[in-house]
Amino acid sequence: MSTPDLIRDLRRAAGRSSVLDDAAACSVYARDASHLEHGRPACVVLPETVECLRQVVELCACHGRPFVVRGGGTGLSGGALPVDGAVVIGTSRLLRLGPVDVERSRVHAEPGVINDAVTRHALPHGLHFAPDPSSQSAATVGGNVAENAGGPHCLKVGVTAQHVRRLDWIDARGRAWTTGRGAAFERGVDLRGLLCGSEGTLGVVTGAELLLQPVPEATVTLLAVFPSLADATRAVVDLMTSGLVPEACEIVDRVMLGAVEAAFGFGFPTDVDAVMICEMAGSVGAAGEDAARAEAVLRAAGARDVNAAADEDERSRLWMCRKKAFGAVGRLAPAYISMDVVVPLGSLTTLVEDIQTIKTEHRVEVATAFHAGDGNLHPGVHYDDRDQDLTARAHRAADAIVMRALELKGSCTGEHGVGLEKRHLIHHQLDATSLQLMRGVKTVFDPHGLCNPDKLLPASDVTAASPVPVPDRPDFRWKSLTVTAPAATPLAVLQAEALTRGLWIPVGAASRIRAAGPGLGGSVTVGDLVDAGTVGPSLLGSTSVGDALLELWAETGDGRIFHAGAPVLKNVAGYDLVRLISGSGGILARPLAATWQLKPAPGCVACWTWSDVPPTLSGESRRDFLRVLRRHGQPAAAVRERASAGPVLWVLAAGRDRAWDLDRLGDDLTAWSEDHGLRRPSMQRQSGSDLANPSSLAGLPGWACGSPDWTLLTRREGHPDWPRPRRLIWQNRPDLLWTPEVIPEEPVGWFADTVFADGRLQSLPRPPAGVPVELLVGLKRLFDPDDRLPVPEWLAAAREGGTW
Amino acid sequence: MSGSLDRTQLDDLRQSCVECGLCLPNCATYLATGNEAQSPRGRLLLLGEVLDGRTDASEPSVRETFDQCLGCLACTATCPSGVSADLLAYVRRLAADADPNRRPPVRLLDRRAVLRTLRVVGSLVRGAAVRLLGAGWRGRLERTPGAGRRLARLLGTLPVDPGSDDALIAQFETLDGGGPRPAVSSHHRAPAAGLRVAVFKGCADASLMPHTSRRLQDLLRRLGCELTVPEGQDCCGALASHLESRGRTSRLRRRNRRAFTPHLGHCDHVVVAAAGCGQELKSQPGDLSDMVIDAVSLLERLAPVDLGPVPLRVAVHDPCHARHGLGVVEAPRRLLARIPGVVVLEPAEAEVCCGSAGVYGVQHPEMSAVMGRRKAEALAATGCDAVVTTNPGCLGQIADGLALVAPHIPILPLTDLVWYAARASGPRKEMS
Ligand SMILES: Cc1cc2nc3c(=O)[nH]c(=O)nc-3n(C[C@H](O)[C@H](O)[C@H](O)COP(=O)(O)OP(=O)(O)OC[C@H]3O[C@@H](n4cnc5c(N)ncnc54)[C@H](O)[C@@H]3O)c2cc1C
Ligand code: SF4
Ligand code: SF4
Repeated sequence: MSTPDLIRDLRRAAGRSSVLDDAAACSVYARDASHLEHGRPACVVLPETVECLRQVVELCACHGRPFVVRGGGTGLSGGALPVDGAVVIGTSRLLRLGPVDVERSRVHAEPGVINDAVTRHALPHGLHFAPDPSSQSAATVGGNVAENAGGPHCLKVGVTAQHVRRLDWIDARGRAWTTGRGAAFERGVDLRGLLCGSEGTLGVVTGAELLLQPVPEATVTLLAVFPSLADATRAVVDLMTSGLVPEACEIVDRVMLGAVEAAFGFGFPTDVDAVMICEMAGSVGAAGEDAARAEAVLRAAGARDVNAAADEDERSRLWMCRKKAFGAVGRLAPAYISMDVVVPLGSLTTLVEDIQTIKTEHRVEVATAFHAGDGNLHPGVHYDDRDQDLTARAHRAADAIVMRALELKGSCTGEHGVGLEKRHLIHHQLDATSLQLMRGVKTVFDPHGLCNPDKLLPASDVTAASPVPVPDRPDFRWKSLTVTAPAATPLAVLQAEALTRGLWIPVGAASRIRAAGPGLGGSVTVGDLVDAGTVGPSLLGSTSVGDALLELWAETGDGRIFHAGAPVLKNVAGYDLVRLISGSGGILARPLAATWQLKPAPGCVACWTWSDVPPTLSGESRRDFLRVLRRHGQPAAAVRERASAGPVLWVLAAGRDRAWDLDRLGDDLTAWSEDHGLRRPSMQRQSGSDLANPSSLAGLPGWACGSPDWTLLTRREGHPDWPRPRRLIWQNRPDLLWTPEVIPEEPVGWFADTVFADGRLQSLPRPPAGVPVELLVGLKRLFDPDDRLPVPEWLAAAREGGTW
Repeated sequence: MSGSLDRTQLDDLRQSCVECGLCLPNCATYLATGNEAQSPRGRLLLLGEVLDGRTDASEPSVRETFDQCLGCLACTATCPSGVSADLLAYVRRLAADADPNRRPPVRLLDRRAVLRTLRVVGSLVRGAAVRLLGAGWRGRLERTPGAGRRLARLLGTLPVDPGSDDALIAQFETLDGGGPRPAVSSHHRAPAAGLRVAVFKGCADASLMPHTSRRLQDLLRRLGCELTVPEGQDCCGALASHLESRGRTSRLRRRNRRAFTPHLGHCDHVVVAAAGCGQELKSQPGDLSDMVIDAVSLLERLAPVDLGPVPLRVAVHDPCHARHGLGVVEAPRRLLARIPGVVVLEPAEAEVCCGSAGVYGVQHPEMSAVMGRRKAEALAATGCDAVVTTNPGCLGQIADGLALVAPHIPILPLTDLVWYAARASGPRKEMS
């Protein structure tokens, strides 16, 4: 249909002033922060409501018109650029931000809300939105979700996907959906995880339920000066493997320092090769002690000077310099290629050295500021685009850097996405089957290819990367903080080995599983965990199994073997098949092997028990309780249940290898009890090494250091310390918190309760209303065309009843 | 100056924009419309297209986006890449050149007599409106289509004069409860080291808010300054230069130089109350610009210590000229911190222009009204008792917005608050 018809229809739906087809708008919306050019849109629509946005998408579908959503236009891979004649849908008028749900640490945001605004909104409640891309003052929630954005402070708590509990979205046909209920224990095919990082090619995000993190009681920001860049990168590895968990760890190299200093005059030394910004946070004592330890590690690794930011003002100026470093490159040259390659931590130094070689070989300038702790580099090749020869060399150098990162088992993109920019590179990273599956996913969601075409996936005639062989034995890469193991490996074996180095796979203490008895016994394997994808309070500080899962080898129902993800801490190359498979109950693919992230294991664990809590706690005492839990940096979980013997409340907390951390929490909990007329709790404490020794844990409630799927224990009728299905859970990090109002009436369903029973993985529960079952059916057909893998009843029924 | 930029310079300037988009949330026209063509990056991209001959500056939509730029400099202030104000000035010039017929009568706007008449008529009409329509008169007028709405907007562009001393005192006393003030120590500050200060009156300040202007002089005298008001001074020329009236701008500048030069030898500062005039005078080459100081910075430097308590929560609005042009951000806060009882509140979007911007409100009444309202909402959201600012243009614009969204919150000149605090401390007679 013709453009004038389309525009007429759009105006009718969205209102005259919301549809722009003038020359100025069409020129401006053909560009974004990527410096790329692609096509010129037919018009730009700026809907004022989500419903209006839905109608716009529906009209595009009716007219067969491609469309692309645009947030702040700060994307660096050209994701928001339209093809010729497309409709650009801007979210700049969808700015509603819901009230902060303090108890559940949540807030609902429309897609146009600026990242920064979420934190400003939450700060009065002592909470903040952790993902902090350097563009946070202009990038939107929709754009962050679409690119799965990261930032300096994602090192400890993870990138955007880990902070999104539920997405409301519109598919390519203009139908509104959601991804689930947003509960902490959700289980099923993870559409939320799939949409995060899908670069607006699978649908339009119209709302996000975001998880907020408590603002730490104290933060110490260190500025370390290194005479040599190689030393600085080695120091990162030393720091990350020292048992400390920095909040952020960034490096700025000499060239970038010069630009930043010219722009902001912070007072950085400009005669050194690198400075590192490293931040430790937690309770007042913990942050200080950790910072002192970090300082020692950095000095030992060759830091010339290590200083802590004197006050909040200096700290915020320091971060301002880091965050605006990118823009300051504009002072060095008119154009730059900004890259975001990632490599395993252990290969960071190698890549940094190789970049120097590439730079000399191609005679170009490179300025780097990077998220060092994640192994995520931002080498920026800058050049004058009026010089053609230089421009060509710059692009060749950039490609060479990416290829080198891939040789080191890295990823071509950790944050910025593939977009248009890396379409010519992505096939070097993905094998043929995973490419085929990604194309299939796109077709399931967008059969006519209208939703942001030309992005993320390579052109059809490329040769994919050769398959990565499926590992046949466990392989610990201590310097990279990862472990790869075949699916049949018992989790307990891996955990025991990891604990010898003070590390663990952050999915709960597996040793307990061995002793846990009838359910899974000692047999929980890597593959089980991938299929189950569950979380439990014993996770203490990590989010879900999917969050710690970095890389996956799996086999589709019809025997196609594919490799997804990479052994790196950040990766947004292509659709996130790892998250899609993890927790899908084995209905899409059979896991063959997986790579997990290793984190420092708790040094000690303590559990406080109250047996006299009233059936309901007053709002005030709940809030105070949360305040206590949140004030302490260490992960803690609280479980409350209506046991037959009367209501019980437990708090379980993990500390580092120092007792006083937990003593302070204990003091505060005692004070809280007294303030609210409760008897003092009884306390049990275990040292970290006990985690490997099940018999020493006998005194703790079963769930406390039990299986990754704590509800496993609820199935063990008759066990004295079983929580009943009715319970209330708080966790200060992340948000495992249910108030009585939101405990689901039926304890089964889209919740972890039904993951395992009698030692078997239960079939996947029916998704809640609003989740598009027909797309799940499509995915099932894509991955398992002949039903060789389990078929849940609801899925079979939907298939029979539906037209698909 | 932008007029003399050659093509290479322009190209270089243009290349300094790395198109990162970080400036968007600071741009009032973008916030008002959500349209990126109305953003700094959009304007610079279009400028590039015009320079490359890909787009014509006279194309209406392009001209409109150039034309609607406020020139507030909020974008250059946040730009990490150092994009300069010259580039934006050039953008605005392009718009003016593309349509030379749209110049409103500058002369009228900076003639004191006209402004004075406007003030008198304005306050009469306002008074009548209050009597006819009640306290929510502004909202009601706005809702009537046609003439009523236009009248509302016109009144809105005029600063509300806080009035005579008695009126001002009465207003403050209602705000801060007017309760008994603690006795103030009899210690009376000795006059400061006898600064000699020449006063730049500024047309809007002197004509639209004569009492405020006088009160500032009272205050300075009380702090030991010896004041001169040079004869023959005229409008600073900011309005004329906003409108790209080059001839008129340089005429005004000449006149002011002539008026002040004889005094420069024997005075320490030239004090300017309105931030807009301050920035204009500072931007001109010559001795005058070196001596110019804005009233708030001067007051802060004079460090009045014996200010009486004023228990008020005040939100501060920084005029763009002060915040982005002169970089005066801390001085007003330090000054307010000297007034016991005053709690300073910072609004969201503090960097964003209120939409007054010289004659912008007259040229683009609709857009400007949206901005004024948004600014008023942000200020009201702080939960303040009153708003203070230092530019008559912002004062009118924000008062207009507040009248719609929070009619109970007044906006007052910052120096009037200081005057009131000083009065609250010392013997009354000296101040009246
Ligand atoms: C100076 C600078 C620094 C940066 N630093 C970082 C950093 O530290 N970390 C990082 O991760 N990134 C960084 N980026 C990249 C960029 O800011 C992020 O990718 C950001 O998430 C993009 O958000 P946006 O709102 O600007 O999205 P846009 O650029 O408008 O769009 C990006 C993609 O998201 C899609 N999209 C936007 N909204 C929606 C929606 N509602 N539904 C579905 N799809 C949507 C678009 O179609 C497009 O594909 C930086 C960029 C700049 C310019
Ligand atoms: S003007 Fe500055 S902040 Fe705005 S897009 Fe250009 S470089 Fe970025
Ligand atoms: S000067 Fe003001 S209105 Fe103009 S582009 Fe910059 S921020 Fe926007």
